[in-house]
Amino acid sequence: MRTEAIDPPGIAWQRVSPKYITVRLVEWAVANLVTLLVLSAPLVFVLLGWWRWPPLWLAITVPSATLLAALWRLVLIPRQVRAIGYAERDDDLLIRGGIFFQRTMAVPYGRMQYVDIAVGPVERALGLCSVKLHTASPGTNARIPGLPAAEGARLREQLAARGEARLAGL
Amino acid sequence: MTTDGQLPGPPGEPPAPPPSQGSPETNRTPDDGWLRVHPASPFVRGWVALAAITFFFGRDLFERTLQGQPVFEDGFARRAPWLLGGGAVVLAVAVLGFVLTWYFTKYQVSGGYVRVDSGLIFRQHRQARLDRVQAIDIVQPLLARIFGLAELKFEVADAGESAVRLAYLKLEDARQLRATILAQASGASAGVVTGAGVDAAAAARPGGPAGPERLARPAPEAPETTVLSVPPSRLLGSLILSEQSVFIVVGGIASVVLSTLTDNRAFYFYLVPAALGLAAGYWNFFNKGFNFTAAVSPDGIRLRYGLLDTQAQTLPPGRIQAVKVAQPPLWRPFGWYRMQVNAAGYGVSGNAAEGNTRTILLPVGKLPDVVAMLSLVLPDPGTPQPGLVFTAGLNGKDSDGGFVTTPRRARLLAPLAWRRNGFTATDTALLIRSGRWWRELVLVPHQRTQSLALQQGPLARRFRVADLVLHTTAGPVAPRLVQAGLDEARQLFDDQSARARLARKRQTTEQWLRQVVPAVAPTPMGALQLPGAAAPGVPMPDAPARGDTTDAAAAKARDHYQQEGQQHG
Repeated sequence: MRTEAIDPPGIAWQRVSPKYITVRLVEWAVANLVTLLVLSAPLVFVLLGWWRWPPLWLAITVPSATLLAALWRLVLIPRQVRAIGYAERDDDLLIRGGIFFQRTMAVPYGRMQYVDIAVGPVERALGLCSVKLHTASPGTNARIPGLPAAEGARLREQLAARGEARLAGL
Repeated sequence: MTTDGQLPGPPGEPPAPPPSQGSPETNRTPDDGWLRVHPASPFVRGWVALAAITFFFGRDLFERTLQGQPVFEDGFARRAPWLLGGGAVVLAVAVLGFVLTWYFTKYQVSGGYVRVDSGLIFRQHRQARLDRVQAIDIVQPLLARIFGLAELKFEVADAGESAVRLAYLKLEDARQLRATILAQASGASAGVVTGAGVDAAAAARPGGPAGPERLARPAPEAPETTVLSVPPSRLLGSLILSEQSVFIVVGGIASVVLSTLTDNRAFYFYLVPAALGLAAGYWNFFNKGFNFTAAVSPDGIRLRYGLLDTQAQTLPPGRIQAVKVAQPPLWRPFGWYRMQVNAAGYGVSGNAAEGNTRTILLPVGKLPDVVAMLSLVLPDPGTPQPGLVFTAGLNGKDSDGGFVTTPRRARLLAPLAWRRNGFTATDTALLIRSGRWWRELVLVPHQRTQSLALQQGPLARRFRVADLVLHTTAGPVAPRLVQAGLDEARQLFDDQSARARLARKRQTTEQWLRQVVPAVAPTPMGALQLPGAAAPGVPMPDAPARGDTTDAAAAKARDHYQQEGQQHG
């Protein structure tokens, strides 16, 4: 299905590194492996005859439904990563993300309180980082994941410089 | 014993020269004094501990007498000296602790900063920039009220742990200090407001031992005018007709029905704790909302309320981040509304109940009250017909007052509310209206918008609508425009970014008196104005320059709110 983006038209989005897909895949694998193991335990116990209560169909349905949902999310990951974008405009930073649930956010430089760079273990191995912007509002959830380390550092410096030039009060 | 192992320099020489002071040489001299809070304050704060000890021992004695046992056991005479000695030691340690805490708690207001030193083992040095003060409260818990003491509490921008507290001061001193802080925060400081005479007098005073009567810079309290007050009867009525009461009635009916149906009397018992909790909730509302009065002064909006514990809040102009006016369905026949605000620091209060109370701008009021409060919050409505627009926002539907509502194609998403869900923008604020039954109007001044986001889910995409979320500081108001037409939402996203940008440029300094020039402070402001900024109403020519220096300095020294804990002896 071809969907109409909610972004303001005429913006050259910068995309994040395709390597970020790997990071998401690892996160996906870890999270779903644990969930699936826990959810499959009743099935094993029922098959072994230790447990009576969950009927066999239920013991099979729950983990397989979870597996299907997880696979669906797996299929979506590359598209989700490709959907993440950011654009530095003159006075604010635009961040977009999501396919089904789209979000486009504008963070004015003058409102930034500080900028974080976070690097997880997988990201470090791939030379990536995440940049997060904080304003005085806890609702500003402005995170750009999957940036190459050099681009992340550049972006942070750039944002800090622009923020300082345009700093406004609360 | 030195009290300040790591103070950044001798007191009176602020670590970073205050960027906004007009004439440093005139305001340096009288400010060396570090003041202490009232000696009784540790006892007032520690009364809970004392009461607990008394209760603990008292109960034992009481029970013994009730049971007819001798008050003292047989072997008591032998152990008495030990008990008495132990008790005395505990008492002495407690009192010593109180005294030391008091001794090591000091505060100072000078040079655009307020500094508070506290702590005996873990020293804490805290300083806050006065021009970043977001709100200032004088709180009087019951016991403090009996002793004529008050706690001064102020919120500073962007701090994780919000408030700087001074507990307790004499009420007079607290008022005086509030006036001083507000005078400096507003930019009317540097002694010019009180006139050269006062400044000279202050300078002539010896910088001897600090006493509470010698405050850093005596500033007259700003005159205030009462705008409205809430009669207790209306407060009571609003409580009776609140959502809480609906729950009680529904719960009561349900439990009665269940009891009769199941022949199980036990259902009544579940009501007891619920009733207790609800009674506490009602009492809290009533206690806090009692005698609610709003007044306006050049320092901002003053809210006073409280039955046993009284509180006086001051919200300086322009510090309100967002306002919500709401009307539950039961209030509609009476035309009552409730107003809540987001102010920086109010939302992150550790105590949820306290935070809730402080964000209430109007517990219950009629339309004229709401309009009066709105005019205080937003002195410049930015529209030629404010009455029409705001009334349409409160009660109207469809395109009354220029509101843009959810397009008709999306009416299935909100069958009732689609004619009300809408927005309009004036020159100074964005108005978001929603709810057919639970009517709500949210107001966000353009210069207070932090960031904004467009959001759209799959269902909304089918109907070509989108949500626009405005981010403000933490608090009860979460501005969200729901189900606006996609084109309108996109347009608003762009327009709103532009408006917020313009408004930010217009707002150049945190010191509000310097922006609104003479209206409030008649002559002395002239001393502070740079040449060229003459006419009232056109403060812009010089303001950007000063604002830039202020803000650049602010950026460099991000230390307007510092706190250090350090080991000390």
